[in-house]
Amino acid sequence: MKRYFTIFLTFARACLIRDMTFRVNFLLECVTSMGWMSMNLAFYLLIFTFTPEIGRDTGWSREPFFAFVATGLIINSIVQALFMPSAEELTEMVRTGGLDAVLVQPLDPQFMLSMHRVDFSACANGLVGIGLLGWAVSRMDSTPPPVAWLLYPLLILCGVAILYSLVIMLAAATILLGRNQSLYDFWFYLTNFSRYPAEIYAGPWGGPLRTLFTFVIPILLVVNVPARVIALPFSGESWGLMVALLVAATATLVISRLVFQAAITKYRSASS
Amino acid sequence: MSLATPADRAPPTAPVRPFAGLRTWFTMLAICLEERLVYRGDFVIGTVMRFLPIVTQVFLWTAVFNATSRPDIAGYTRNDIVAYYLLTMVTRAFSSMPGLSGGISRSVRDGSVKKYLVQPVDYVAYLLAARIAHKLVYYVVAILPFAAIFYVCRGYFPPIPDVGTIAAYVLSLVLSFLLGFFMEATLGMLGFWFLEVSSIIFAYMLVQYLLSGHMFPIDMLSGVQTGIAGVTLADVVRWLPFEYTAYFPAAVWLGKIQGATLARDLAIEAGWVVVMAVACRIAWWRGTRRYSAFGG
Amino acid sequence: MVFLYTSGMHNSNRGGPADRGVDPVISVDSLAKEYRVYDKPEGLLASVTGLFHRTSRLVEAVRGVSLSIGRGEFVALLGPNGAGKTTFLKLLSGIITPSRGTARVLGHVPWERADDFRRRFALVMGQRNQLWWDLPAAESFRLHKEIYRIEPARFNRTRDELVDLLGVRGLMLQPVRELSLGERMKLELIAALLHEPEVLFLDEPTIGLDVVAQHTIHDFLKAVQARRRVTVVLTTHYMKDVAALCERVVVITHGSILHDGPLEEIVDRFTTHKIVTLDLDATPAVGRMERFGFPCEIRGPRVELRIDRTRIADVLPEILRSESVRDISVEDVPLEEIVAELFRAGPAPAGATA
Repeated sequence: MKRYFTIFLTFARACLIRDMTFRVNFLLECVTSMGWMSMNLAFYLLIFTFTPEIGRDTGWSREPFFAFVATGLIINSIVQALFMPSAEELTEMVRTGGLDAVLVQPLDPQFMLSMHRVDFSACANGLVGIGLLGWAVSRMDSTPPPVAWLLYPLLILCGVAILYSLVIMLAAATILLGRNQSLYDFWFYLTNFSRYPAEIYAGPWGGPLRTLFTFVIPILLVVNVPARVIALPFSGESWGLMVALLVAATATLVISRLVFQAAITKYRSASS
Repeated sequence: MSLATPADRAPPTAPVRPFAGLRTWFTMLAICLEERLVYRGDFVIGTVMRFLPIVTQVFLWTAVFNATSRPDIAGYTRNDIVAYYLLTMVTRAFSSMPGLSGGISRSVRDGSVKKYLVQPVDYVAYLLAARIAHKLVYYVVAILPFAAIFYVCRGYFPPIPDVGTIAAYVLSLVLSFLLGFFMEATLGMLGFWFLEVSSIIFAYMLVQYLLSGHMFPIDMLSGVQTGIAGVTLADVVRWLPFEYTAYFPAAVWLGKIQGATLARDLAIEAGWVVVMAVACRIAWWRGTRRYSAFGG
Repeated sequence: MVFLYTSGMHNSNRGGPADRGVDPVISVDSLAKEYRVYDKPEGLLASVTGLFHRTSRLVEAVRGVSLSIGRGEFVALLGPNGAGKTTFLKLLSGIITPSRGTARVLGHVPWERADDFRRRFALVMGQRNQLWWDLPAAESFRLHKEIYRIEPARFNRTRDELVDLLGVRGLMLQPVRELSLGERMKLELIAALLHEPEVLFLDEPTIGLDVVAQHTIHDFLKAVQARRRVTVVLTTHYMKDVAALCERVVVITHGSILHDGPLEEIVDRFTTHKIVTLDLDATPAVGRMERFGFPCEIRGPRVELRIDRTRIADVLPEILRSESVRDISVEDVPLEEIVAELFRAGPAPAGATA
């Protein structure tokens, strides 16, 4: 609805103004995230001096792998910029009664709690990701067909939707339990599994792990599907994965919403 | 409210004179322990979860080994790498000092460092004593999860090394604790000169992340040339203090460093401990002089 | 809908322009809320056992409260901290769901949180802010306009009227976090009224404010309520708020209603004696005074006696006859004292609340 969009823009504007007021801090944040990222890129470059690809016959040679990393950067920067700041503030809001104020307003609380704050410094990584993608694709042996470029943004959005659902479930847990910092560590540790192509999860332990993170908590679909479409030669298998991603995105959105509604109903509210 | 996993929280800043008695010591220990236990569920889960990223890394390296026909990379077989990562967790349990540099620079900023200028207390000694207490408590409570994980993964480890190697290992761990402490303490002391030390600390963290061996064994840098004749990146890093906070003890245990090289590297590590301890002392001395001159 | 009154309460249907009996705006029936609180372990040993087993107890924040409020009434919920007033307000505004009982506000069940319902009332909580911290007040108001879908012309008119009433036009462009508590509270009240709610819930609105600010807010609330016939429910533990604003006061302690009616009635209902102050010619001996009343405070020639109400008519003439009295006054026990005593007392006896 247009109303929600207008409200979101107001929030975004306020955050932008604040970031520009504290310019030095903002720049520092950008540099910080880019710093960590470049260390990881150096590490990947090192790995590729020892091996031509990740996993036997998987197709993840250097440039496709970097395209994968770039996709991850883009998706994560969207989530970090739009949803994580609000989610991180949730504990504080529950503590100070800010959540009460939200519940009283004629607005969907899930919208308010996941989108009232925007972290623009997280966009830095996303921009680097786009640049990295361009570099990687330009040096790949097989260029992606136009249809891949058309599908790529849509698949990225689906991936973002799955991560968003995960954020909402964490938010629901925070509302129920009152405080729980370890939930956000949980987020980091969970999404850490999706840093590399799903093919690395092979063998007696890897197989079940891959199944778990594809069908139960579908984080492996988030980066893998768009990355495959853009970096690996287009095949029939890709369509199957895209459908799976779409289904997963829809399912997780619905489930997380239900969980969130339930949590709100059971909300205790810090009494006084 | 905790802002980090319990293992990352700084110890309570109780203004207690160090070495003033065993009783005070034990009280400090008891307080730390109690604080830990208050976050019961968090703590057990938190400790185990810190091992999770290793799982992903291991799968990555396995995939790398699958793709090449090499038996090892820079002397590390796949199993060696698993053992390596687990051992770096142990080293980091000794050398990581969460909240130390930040705490010092904060106490300079908000003036609470004043009381240490006035009292007959050695601030650095006090911090060191507090850290030791804090670490001991952490080890007591973390030993179970650590032991469980190591037991489960025992198949990845080579046979237990000889007594000499074990002795060298223990020595390197103790030195890594001291090195980590003095490096972060000195960084914190920079708060006397710079208002916002966080950017410097961040740069330090970044270099640490890459060069400490946290991400990969430093031996892997032996194939990277620096441009100066025959000198590899690994050679350069060996002379820097960073690798001793994660890589070195792990490599010692795994037998990757032997004999004369081992002796030399231990000497380098000890040397850095001395250098940083002196640097810390000087920073404190000059910093407090400057601080008093400006009226605090 | 059944209206149940606490026993012992007079059927005092006073309290402003109330058409309570016809179609109450707020009706509550046996509303109750309890929750489980886990005990925090103290000491090292307890911390260890706390890893395996935690004790808990059931806290009854609101126990079977029933009442009914009509349009335009201004009702105070008076009670000490922890009495359950805030919990009760949260139930009525739909923030939490009750353990038992029903309630209807403006025809809606609050905890169903219908958008139509939420658009028609407002909640202001003292010391807890709801305005967006980083935005200037003007921006917050604009946001409010979007959220509540207020028509622009109407919004401007209402906003200007309220801003001028409180005289805060100069503060509109500053970020809210830079303002003082009093200034923030004024802006919060304006924000709450921008969408012209029919019901206004106020939770301790004057807490932490200086006397001048409290006064300003009292006047403002009275003006607003008179002009727009808003139904106001205000929780407080300050007698001042109550005395200045409402005719009807509901005393809540330990989650139950102790009294519901005009303030003056509290005196009638909860005291058994009056205070008689005598100015005598000379300081009397203690034993001499005690036959008239008890307890007794003697400060020089001034004596303060507490005498049973039913006996006043007999005792007074006797005093006048046997003592040389220069001046005499008969007063009620101060309201503050009665209320403080009520606060201290335990929960109402079992049969007292419905």
